[in-house]
Amino acid sequence: MTDTQPTGTQPTGTLLERRNPTVKVALLCAVSLTTLFLFDLSVLAWLWGLGVVGALATTRLGARRLVLAHAPFVAFGVGLVAVNAVTRPGPALVTVLGMDVTRAGLAVGAALALRALLIGVVTVAFLASTPPRELMVSLTRHARLSPRYAYALLAAHRMLTAMPRRWATIRAAQAVRGSGPALPEAGRAVVTLLVGAIRGAERTALALESRGLGSGPRSVWHVVPLTWADGVFAVVVTGVAGAVLAFA
Amino acid sequence: MSGDGTAGGPATGDPSTGDPALVVTRDLEAVFASGDGVGPLDLVIAPGEQVLVLGPSGSGKSTALHLLHGAIPHTIDAQVTGAVRVAGRDVHRTPVAALADVVGVVAQDPETGVCLPDVDDEVAFALENLGAPTTTIDDAVPRALDLAGARHLGGRRTDELSGGELQRVALAAAVAAGPALLLLDEPTAMLDAAGVASVREAVARVARGGAASVLVEHRLDEYAGDAGTAGLPARWVVLDRDGRVRADGPSAQVLAEAGRDLLADGCWLPVDAELDVLFGSADLDSPQVRAGIAEHAGRVRERAEERSRRAAVGPVGAGALAGVGEGEVLQACGLDVAPLGAPRPTRRRPGRAVLRGVDLTLHPGEVVAVVGENGGGKTSLLATLAGVRPPLAGTVLGPRPGLVFQNPEHQLTRLTVRAEIGAGLPPGPARDAAVDDALDRLGLTDLAERNPFRLSGGQKRRLSLAAVLVHDRPHLLADEPTFGLDRHGTIAAARALAAQAQAGRGVLFTSHDLRTVAAYATRVVVVGDGRLLADVDPHTLVRDDALLTAARLRVPRLVRHLARSAPGAATLRTELQGLDDAVLGLSQTAGVLP
Repeated sequence: MTDTQPTGTQPTGTLLERRNPTVKVALLCAVSLTTLFLFDLSVLAWLWGLGVVGALATTRLGARRLVLAHAPFVAFGVGLVAVNAVTRPGPALVTVLGMDVTRAGLAVGAALALRALLIGVVTVAFLASTPPRELMVSLTRHARLSPRYAYALLAAHRMLTAMPRRWATIRAAQAVRGSGPALPEAGRAVVTLLVGAIRGAERTALALESRGLGSGPRSVWHVVPLTWADGVFAVVVTGVAGAVLAFA
Repeated sequence: MSGDGTAGGPATGDPSTGDPALVVTRDLEAVFASGDGVGPLDLVIAPGEQVLVLGPSGSGKSTALHLLHGAIPHTIDAQVTGAVRVAGRDVHRTPVAALADVVGVVAQDPETGVCLPDVDDEVAFALENLGAPTTTIDDAVPRALDLAGARHLGGRRTDELSGGELQRVALAAAVAAGPALLLLDEPTAMLDAAGVASVREAVARVARGGAASVLVEHRLDEYAGDAGTAGLPARWVVLDRDGRVRADGPSAQVLAEAGRDLLADGCWLPVDAELDVLFGSADLDSPQVRAGIAEHAGRVRERAEERSRRAAVGPVGAGALAGVGEGEVLQACGLDVAPLGAPRPTRRRPGRAVLRGVDLTLHPGEVVAVVGENGGGKTSLLATLAGVRPPLAGTVLGPRPGLVFQNPEHQLTRLTVRAEIGAGLPPGPARDAAVDDALDRLGLTDLAERNPFRLSGGQKRRLSLAAVLVHDRPHLLADEPTFGLDRHGTIAAARALAAQAQAGRGVLFTSHDLRTVAAYATRVVVVGDGRLLADVDPHTLVRDDALLTAARLRVPRLVRHLARSAPGAATLRTELQGLDDAVLGLSQTAGVLP
């Protein structure tokens, strides 16, 4: 089956694709939590810069897709800077539309924005390098997540990918009949979509059960390995981040 | 399935008592909160036995299957009495998951019956859950895929497969653990003709492996294929409208006992069985059958002549549309059709067309069928003609048509049937009158205050048709209007469309059912290979083997046979409509639609 097996940690994948998903989840959480205590702009900028370099070097994202993936985080960051700049107390740098922009406000806003960019780039790199199946298999094995939740989540992921098409069909059906005001109609379409999703979920739950999910101890066909390389990876990431915190 | 070397050996009978039966039910009965139910069932199924469960819509066939593997009462709530044992296990005391080593299940909807993102994982899943060693799984997965005719799908992602392919993956997943009992709940309900054939062949292969199976299926003519009754399981169990066992035995005996009732109740039967019930002979070439078909066709022809006489005499034909001008056609010129649900094209990504260069004209009063493979762009073509999707190239000219979608649930957005039909109409007495009229015409008056989502499949489809008809558009487009309906529902839906054409509308519908197409369409548009392959009459299509092969269409045996002797499309049409008349004649309650 090796010729047809698409999943399982790929020995030929990029550096980040070959890493254990549970280790990646743990590092992602650690980085996100650490930034909660950081307001130093240069530290955050260094970490974000390293995140970008790391994402480009260890995933298949490429510069164009990475820039596009930044768009929502940049928009969020701009909002953070704008709000904080005019709401923090302190001596005014300039006055815009009758509101005082303060140095402290700009600094806090920029720090929060960089925090969003950093968490964003790390998350994007994680998603781009981790197939859902590997994540779930690894979490059940290395993080003791119950298979009942893990496989229910995988099935839910499959249903989600089918939703855009269903949504388009429902909206098309409304458009054909020349419906009323846009907002209430969209609301009704959401109800229609959800009714279908709930019914589908019931059937999928029965399918999972009738295949024996939760019947007892289970085996795993293609194990997602946890190796010394994952340990090295974790040490390198925390080491680099620690060095930046210490010296930047 | 022991000979296949899958994970577990087949459990045969009850190891504790030595009872050779695989399934034993005693006074088994389920009643839902709504009052509907099934039973009492007293069934004994031997290891390896092939059973077909049939009965009219709403007779509880799926409920019976759910009872056999404990989905009722463990997962689906119902009041259950009596006893059921499978391979010696008391199903009422065994969770559904704990029967997975002896029972494999294939559900109706392949979209929700397949759970995981990758085909191989899906097939391995049951074995993993049973704790099978990985070396066993290595062998069992390709073997199960082979058995289900899905070897070539190994390594694919499940979200890129068609319904027929998905259903074969679901079948492979159900047989991977080598179950002694296979439960199949209308496994072909969502498939086109090619999908039906592939699933039937896969089920037959699995059966030869030694597993017993219980198949619920109502599209028996399509499922049986050219083999007719002989292509179906040997033992038939018939449920009546109240969910009780009406007949149980070898197919020939059951047909003799209950065949007439089944046909009168709207069940599809293999064509040989249908002819036997109607004319007393299963042979298409026998004098009785030829005379019977000719007689009914004659009456259809007389009715049509009478209708055209009346239309010619009256100033405007009775029921003709007001406001529909002569020659107001719907026309597509050089249309490139984008797939429905694809992202809007941008300059960077111009969008891929699923159909290119479509030229098509729909005239008032004609019934045009669009046929072709699943995924060939039929639905997207209808959406583009209806103005829902802008074409990638080309233009659509003419008045905006109405469109009935394939899955009626996608169209339902209101809380009552009445509100659903009135949606999109300006409020006022005119709307109330139009809605009342539509309710009446489609037999929905008694259901007017019901929640649309709680209707049966056939009722939902009538509702979706009523909700479009009420807009009084000059042309009507319908996507698979007969899909999943029983025999009566199919005839009623096809005749409702034909009636719209007689009233002066242009009707265009997609279908995979060439019997309905040949019986009601005046023209057929064939799509395949991303373009319009032909625009012909049905009689020409079913005789053109090269065209049928190119479009991957299968013509039912009955249509093929009648087309050989019929001089043209009109004769073929009247003969097939005559057979529909004969079936409706068996039942006084049939034919709810005008």
